[in-house]
Amino acid sequence: LPSSFLCVTVSAVWVGLVCLLFYSRLVRVGAAPICTNGQAGCHILSLADLFDRVIQHSARMHGISSDLHSEFEQYFFPSKNHIGRVNRICHTSTILTPNGKENAQRLAREELTEVILKLLVAWRDPLWHFQQSIAHHHDFNNFSSNKALEMSDMVHELRKGVEKVAEKMQMLGIISNSVNSLTSPEALIPSDRAEWRLMKDYVLLYCFRRDSNKVQNYLKILKCRIIPQHEC
Amino acid sequence: LQNFWTFWVTSPPGKPKLTSCRSPEKETFTCWWEPGSDGGLPTTYALYYRKENSDAVYECPDYHTAGENSCFFNKNDTSIWVNYNITVVATNALGSNFSDPVDVDVVYIVQPHTPENVTVTVMEDKDGPFLRVSWEPPRKADTRSGWITLIYELRVKLEGEEEWEEHRAGQQKMFNIFSLRSGGMYLVQVRCKPDHGFWSEWSSTTYIKVPDYFPRETSVWILIAVFSAFIFFILTWILNLKSNSVKHCLLPPVPGPKIKGFDKQLLKNGRSEEVFSALVVPGFPPTTSSDCEDLLVEYLEVYTPEEQELILEEGKDLQEGCLKSKGSPSDSDSGRGSCDSHTLLMEKCGEGEGKEEKHQERAQKGKRQQKHQTGWEEGDVSHTREDVLSPDMSEGRVKTWPSVFSPLPQYSSRPLDHQGSLETARQLCLSDSLFPPPSTSSHLSYNAKEGLALGSGQQEFYLGKKQTHPSNPQSQPRWHLQAHSDFNISSMDRKQAASGLQLPGFRSTEYVEVQRVNQEDMVILQPLFSSSCQRDGHLQIGQGEDYSKVKGVDSGNMLLLQREVEVKREEEDGDRYSCDIQDRVTESCYTTSTAASSQVTGKPTSCAGTAMPVQEEMVLAANGYVDAATMLL
Repeated sequence: LPSSFLCVTVSAVWVGLVCLLFYSRLVRVGAAPICTNGQAGCHILSLADLFDRVIQHSARMHGISSDLHSEFEQYFFPSKNHIGRVNRICHTSTILTPNGKENAQRLAREELTEVILKLLVAWRDPLWHFQQSIAHHHDFNNFSSNKALEMSDMVHELRKGVEKVAEKMQMLGIISNSVNSLTSPEALIPSDRAEWRLMKDYVLLYCFRRDSNKVQNYLKILKCRIIPQHEC
Repeated sequence: LQNFWTFWVTSPPGKPKLTSCRSPEKETFTCWWEPGSDGGLPTTYALYYRKENSDAVYECPDYHTAGENSCFFNKNDTSIWVNYNITVVATNALGSNFSDPVDVDVVYIVQPHTPENVTVTVMEDKDGPFLRVSWEPPRKADTRSGWITLIYELRVKLEGEEEWEEHRAGQQKMFNIFSLRSGGMYLVQVRCKPDHGFWSEWSSTTYIKVPDYFPRETSVWILIAVFSAFIFFILTWILNLKSNSVKHCLLPPVPGPKIKGFDKQLLKNGRSEEVFSALVVPGFPPTTSSDCEDLLVEYLEVYTPEEQELILEEGKDLQEGCLKSKGSPSDSDSGRGSCDSHTLLMEKCGEGEGKEEKHQERAQKGKRQQKHQTGWEEGDVSHTREDVLSPDMSEGRVKTWPSVFSPLPQYSSRPLDHQGSLETARQLCLSDSLFPPPSTSSHLSYNAKEGLALGSGQQEFYLGKKQTHPSNPQSQPRWHLQAHSDFNISSMDRKQAASGLQLPGFRSTEYVEVQRVNQEDMVILQPLFSSSCQRDGHLQIGQGEDYSKVKGVDSGNMLLLQREVEVKREEEDGDRYSCDIQDRVTESCYTTSTAASSQVTGKPTSCAGTAMPVQEEMVLAANGYVDAATMLL
């Protein structure tokens, strides 16, 4: 009898310790909200942290878009040459983006930030439409539909994040105040027939995959230009 | 003529094939192609490309920098995030052939060079040495501006091994490797990859030798192993010491059958009628002169030697060993192990054989005891001279033990101990030296838990009178009460418990054999003085020796013996003899058994006692108990 009592006591102590550990972990890991207007009591992230966060975000976004793109390519366009014939015109081609390292480095920080924001804004609506069409189309499984939804949300979140970064930079005086939230006219793509939609979807994915890569790259360049010590 | 033949075998060139395009730093790129058959004619190759959404066709700017069958695009001609549509054309005199077009976006064809300046050093830690590998990104890859992000991977193996151990290092340019084999030679390689691209080649091998050291982990394990072994040995030793008690706990002995009067031997012989008839106890249920007193526990009084107290002390542990159940009222050994049985007592008593002389030396101690004992003797003697074992043995109960306690001088017995079997056994163990010799009579007081259950079957009640030990001049004669399973005291209608009785001091110890119980309920005794016990149940009778006849039980519940001159012996088949084998040291008994020939122990001596049969079934107590412990004998 005393041995069982001892067992109970020891196990209770262990459970208590584990709970305590988890509780402390939870408290620690709880994401600190990004403060706006310097609200009292919230944890203010440094610029480096903000940059890291948005870069991670953009990396994840690009990963999802790559996955969806390969899925499309695999199921709908097995022949690579057939793809080659497709005229891929992305609706974001009107946005002037640097196509090389020197070009990107030649841009000012504000311009670079602006380009990023333009791209993100341009993709919000098309992705939302795309996700809608995926959800209603039975050709795609739940996995793809979830990814599309996630992608759509991420664009939205990333744009907000980059705006925060821009705000912070403006606050810190790193960039001038010329960057403002842009509302560029989104080209609404008409959706008629199924195959056109499919094709459209594929082109959309192709274009978005590339643009998300651009965003990620530009953010990295911006970060290493502003905060060179950290992982550059 | 040569032209003629070449004309016949020449053809337009085969189709070239673009094998791969690669960019080492995302700023330039190179495409390689594979030429097809040249058709026997000198063939030229040209690469054309088109940029995305543009119809302008351009030719490769540089065919030489990257080697043969390659096209190198420098920085000015390279646009990132632009789709290139590339075609190679092979042309000879007879025609040209276009390869299949390939779409290339430079972002996705990045394969950097190998990392550079891979250095490996051995560093020391409190746990031992470890390797620190550090490297630098390839020179051309611009990671500083954030244009390219590289992740690294390294692999290690011992010299001579086949399998590499791979580690991902992420974006860091340094890595530590632990758990090294002392004195080993390690090979290290590093490679890198952009976040979306291809792995580079492995860097050239770097060799590093780990110095010799003694791993602390191993020493800790050695310490633990030694400690565990030590504890294990201690436990084993303790277990060995307590093996008896452990055995007692784990394997409790199986009690034997307790049917009174049940003769297993008969059953084995197949004579079921005899078996069942043996079960019939004439006196049971008690009808004649049975009163409550019959069920009372009475005690077998045995004379105690002078060193009674001393022996008490000496034999205390023996006592515990002999009789585990103290004061248990019942005769049955159910629930008790062999430790509790009589035979164990006997065994234990036998151990004390050697102490006999020692005890004798102390015989002079305790005048009080001596005096007390003398009083005993006299009283007993006075009793026994006249009394005989009356037919009223129904009043008395004899507790018979299956074993014999003759050579048990050192076990004292408290006088008139009315407690349980423990005391009884102690009473029964008497030392030789301690008995003053009453002449002819033996005084027995017995203790029986239940009434004597005498069956009409063959139950013999033996009183053994043991002869003097030659080695022990001072030894006094003792009486043995040897109980056998066949106790035939017809008038005794109680359960008879076999008990070894020790009779107080005779000068010489002799064996007396109970011949039979005659009609007057007298136990006819005859001495066993023959130099050898005959086998097959035949007992030789000495001549002219005294023996005592158990006259009866007196009022004091004492078994009275009387000497008679009568030489008569009976051969009784099916008798079982329990022999006092405690004398194995000084004298030996022949084991006799009717059912089977048991071993013959010892040498011919004056011992006339019957030997204890080895078989378990031979030692059937008078009360019908078969004690498995008798196997010890």
